[in-house]
Amino acid sequence: MSRTESLQGLEKVLESFLDRAVKLKEDRLSVLGGINRLDDIAREIQTGDDITEEIGNWFAEHNGWLSGGVLRTGDQNRIGEILVEIRRELGQSDDITPALDKINSEIDRWSGVIGSPTPKIILRRPPEPAEPITSTPGTVEQFGLVFDGIHDLFAELRGTKPHLLTVLDEALKKAELQNDKEALILSGLIIYYLKQNTYKVEPYVRRLKEAERSQKQRSQ
Amino acid sequence: MLNASEKAYCLALQALKDKDYRKAAEYFDRAAPFFVENEEFNLYRETTRLLLAVKRELGAEPESDDELVIEEVFSNGQETDIR
Repeated sequence: MSRTESLQGLEKVLESFLDRAVKLKEDRLSVLGGINRLDDIAREIQTGDDITEEIGNWFAEHNGWLSGGVLRTGDQNRIGEILVEIRRELGQSDDITPALDKINSEIDRWSGVIGSPTPKIILRRPPEPAEPITSTPGTVEQFGLVFDGIHDLFAELRGTKPHLLTVLDEALKKAELQNDKEALILSGLIIYYLKQNTYKVEPYVRRLKEAERSQKQRSQ
Repeated sequence: MLNASEKAYCLALQALKDKDYRKAAEYFDRAAPFFVENEEFNLYRETTRLLLAVKRELGAEPESDDELVIEEVFSNGQETDIR
């Protein structure tokens, strides 16, 4: 067998493997492609584009998802979050057209079936002088103080960031570079939350462990 | 909103479905920072890279963009490749 023939054989094997791998994922790929498209539409609204027709087509094309069995819980959460985002962006328009009304009622219909993510309310307050952490960290009072600190830190880091992963990245940086213990705990909390919602968190877990190790070394 | 790596992974798989392996490899590279620990992701990415390398060897894919291939034909009819 010549070198060219060997390479051609290998080419066929690799193509066949990738082809089968994609076929196995065909259903998932269809769902992920649909969510990705919805995400693109949400981003288009932010740039001021008119998405009326596109979102109408999206709802029509993916209506079958509502009959159940296709979407995983993580998919439903993602779609719910993006629809909330779209509604929020559309709500900023002063001009309420019939098309806008129709989109809102479709969003209501979808949210009713897949469930909508619980809206988060964050109360902001000016920073207070931090209580020194005492040597009794196991008390309810002490945990309450740390928890308040974490809450404020999240509000500070969140700012106008659109994605929780960006906030997590900031929290990890703060834990790594500023030796901030509350940032470390906040990072762990966000990672656990993301894991529960089917995100891939391994790279962040690794960074969390590195930050934790670094903090321990500095405190010794 | 989806993060950029998730979007890129999804587009990479779609490119594989369309048999556009070069585009798939580009999207895999974009998705890599987030999925580098994911075994399945790495398997698809490396297989795609290997396939592209094989295709390059077979002449079905162009060499990398920064490589210039010049074919010089001499008046006496002989040919030589200058790379």
